[in-house]
Amino acid sequence: MSNSELQSRASAGVIAPGSASMNWVRSAKSHLAAWGPPIVTFAIVAVIWQLLALGNPYVLPTLDAVGSNIVSNPGMYWQNFLVTAQEIAIGAGAGILAGFVLAVLMAELPILERAMMPLMVTIMVTPVVAIAPALVVAFGFGMAPKYIVTGLVVFFPMLVNSLAGLKSVDARAHDVLKTLHASRWEIFRELRFPGSMPFFFAGLRIAFPLSVVGAAVAEFAAAGQQAGLGSLLTIAAAQANLPVTWACIALLCLTGVLLVAVLAVIRRYVLWWSEDGA
Amino acid sequence: MQSGISSAATQLVSEEVGVEVSHVTKGFGPEGAKLVVLNDVSFSIKRGEFVSVIGPSGCGKSTLLRLVAGLTEADHGTVTVHGEAIRTATRHKSVGLVPQSPALLPWRTVHDNVSLPIRVNSKANVDRRLRDPRQILSSFGLGHAVDKYPFQLSGGMQQRVAIARAFVFDPMVLLMDEPFSALDEMNRDQQRMGLLEFWQSNRKSVMFVTHSVPEAIILSDRIVVMAAHPGRIAEIIDVDLPRPRDENVYATDAFRDLEGYVRNSLKSVMAPGQAA
Repeated sequence: MSNSELQSRASAGVIAPGSASMNWVRSAKSHLAAWGPPIVTFAIVAVIWQLLALGNPYVLPTLDAVGSNIVSNPGMYWQNFLVTAQEIAIGAGAGILAGFVLAVLMAELPILERAMMPLMVTIMVTPVVAIAPALVVAFGFGMAPKYIVTGLVVFFPMLVNSLAGLKSVDARAHDVLKTLHASRWEIFRELRFPGSMPFFFAGLRIAFPLSVVGAAVAEFAAAGQQAGLGSLLTIAAAQANLPVTWACIALLCLTGVLLVAVLAVIRRYVLWWSEDGA
Repeated sequence: MQSGISSAATQLVSEEVGVEVSHVTKGFGPEGAKLVVLNDVSFSIKRGEFVSVIGPSGCGKSTLLRLVAGLTEADHGTVTVHGEAIRTATRHKSVGLVPQSPALLPWRTVHDNVSLPIRVNSKANVDRRLRDPRQILSSFGLGHAVDKYPFQLSGGMQQRVAIARAFVFDPMVLLMDEPFSALDEMNRDQQRMGLLEFWQSNRKSVMFVTHSVPEAIILSDRIVVMAAHPGRIAEIIDVDLPRPRDENVYATDAFRDLEGYVRNSLKSVMAPGQAA
């Protein structure tokens, strides 16, 4: 066997060399190949940031100032994070559930889709930034308007994606079930529900980051009363406290990244059968 | 050729009617500008008989299959299975469908895909000789794949799973819509022989839609040749080759004579502009 043949076989995973150290070297190499480029990009952005911040102390805080601010007040940031996380968990959870349930009803009763979709689109195109203050007037400075705003921003992508998924079933598998005189519920259970999961997860991929936006915007509109990273951010910005402002932004960003990462893990467990499952 | 039904071919075919398609007309589109897809189509499949339907594109053979599957309704005429209207027949799970693609559920194992017809509409399982999915899979040469998932199987194996799924609940009638058309020729021939062998020991009424003349001949008791624009039956040809058949049949003179006859029949139904 020629050397190049060996290599191509090895890269195709045909040969599993016995030596563990060789495997380790290869996996380290492939990790480097995957993680190297984004790490370099982040490093370059960080250096540029730091240079800009040093030259413009009243516009941007240095990264170390933001970092040390978080480290010196972990309790404050943790408390505010928990409030925002609660808004996301309850608000987005309800919005996701509502979006999916309405999608199921619309898929089963087309008249409902015709009747309600225009209203849904109208709600969707209304800027959530405009709705938030009105909700604060209606529901006060408590948690209710934050749940509603967070729920509202995730509702629409969940509705649209779930509906597309529920309708996109394999027509031939549907024919097989119809020929067996399967009931609506059986078709839903065997085909529509599991078949819609790739679309459902595509919806979650949009909804999760949006839920952070929703929670932050709701807190902006009702700042000063309830805690939360968004409220803290507004107050800090009003006081021109750059390290705290940017610390809140960084933590909101981190929350979004974490949600997306968790989603990717769940997706791999639920959608292992899907071709684009990775 | 029309009348030469050999005794071997009909031994296991009852004279009782399995599927009866009677004066069926079907069109699509609005009234006035209706495109007639099937025009006064009548034929029947006896119990235990294998009938292929062949014809040019647009002759309505897939529509005909959908009508017999109860997936669409005729404008005029009736379709019955063992004397029951097709709606009633599907409610009693009398019809098994093998679609053009395997249409397996990717999130279910091979076993659970095959047992799907048993899981749904379980009211109709009463008084029925259900088969063991494992046993039917092993007779299809898929015993090793029972706990695998569809994406782990080749295209030919997936199609065999789809056929096993149609046999598992012991329907009276099997409908197959070009089940091997997506496979390469070598694979196709192997799948054909597998189906032939299994069917010869599990005689069911079969309606088999195909594009392939040799496939129609080797499998069938009769071949329905359809013409297009509008879709109609041009000729019904008896295949008087003895059963059981195997791949040696391809080499016989009788097979070649029949092949020539069917090809001529097909040529004559192609409108002059359409002939390839």
